[in-house]
Amino acid sequence: MSEKTTDCADCDDTEHAARLARIYEYLDGALSYEDIEEVRAHLDGCPECASDYDLECLIRTAVRRSCVERAPETLKITIMEKISRIRVEAGHEPG
Amino acid sequence: MTESTPSAVDTAGEETEAERRARFERDALQYVDQLYSAAMRMTRNPQDAEDLVQEAYTKAYSAFHQYKPGTNLKAWLYRILTNTYINIYRKKQRQPHQANTDTVEDWQMAQAAEHTSSGLRSAEAEALDHLPDSDVKNALQQIPEEFRLAVYFSDVEGFAYKEIAEILNIPIGTVMSRLHRGRKLLRNLLADYARERGFQRGEARS
Repeated sequence: MSEKTTDCADCDDTEHAARLARIYEYLDGALSYEDIEEVRAHLDGCPECASDYDLECLIRTAVRRSCVERAPETLKITIMEKISRIRVEAGHEPG
Repeated sequence: MTESTPSAVDTAGEETEAERRARFERDALQYVDQLYSAAMRMTRNPQDAEDLVQEAYTKAYSAFHQYKPGTNLKAWLYRILTNTYINIYRKKQRQPHQANTDTVEDWQMAQAAEHTSSGLRSAEAEALDHLPDSDVKNALQQIPEEFRLAVYFSDVEGFAYKEIAEILNIPIGTVMSRLHRGRKLLRNLLADYARERGFQRGEARS
């Protein structure tokens, strides 16, 4: 456990961008176990990054929520019809 | 090597057309809503999205013998969808508003790079919950396509970098940088929408 709870109050833009990248990777599930621990510890001690983290979660939720579409009811049927038709002509790879 | 055991794994060889079609219908067609949602983000209109999904499924069926059971079928379908889109629709459409996909406006990029976190702050963040879906979609639509698709695959579908890399046929490092830049752009755009909606500090709950 790291005893120092540094925050990013004095971070410059470059450092902050690096921290943000870290938060993205954390949320993307792309970090190693050690890195995850490190990010969590940092989030506990840094209000700036914690707020970025919250914000990023909100954005992702909003994106997920907004992008849910329902295909028209007929689409599956059309696809299956197309497939059964094409199957007959395409016993081999189309050129 | 005898045929005595009906192994469900060995589907490629002895499967009849009818069986193959049934398997495709059962395994692949369950993702039709997801592929359609993605197609909507690519083509921006329902008719083109439908056509694109149909085309992608047709190709997928023709190539279904190449799909390895046990691997990620959804990612495989997404890859076909994306290729179909890139090869057919994007070339055909040539819509003016899609012209600047590769070159993000410099100012926009610079803004995103420098004000990494100033786009949205707590009061406005709250407004995000109240933003209509149409605003979020519009914001996404304003991000250059390469970034948008990466963000979409990551946030909506939860694909890992490696899977996105395979779907888009780009290196993982490129996936990461597209995600990073796309997210920063999106964040700033959403901040704009939140402000336009009048959600300013303290006014989020009016």
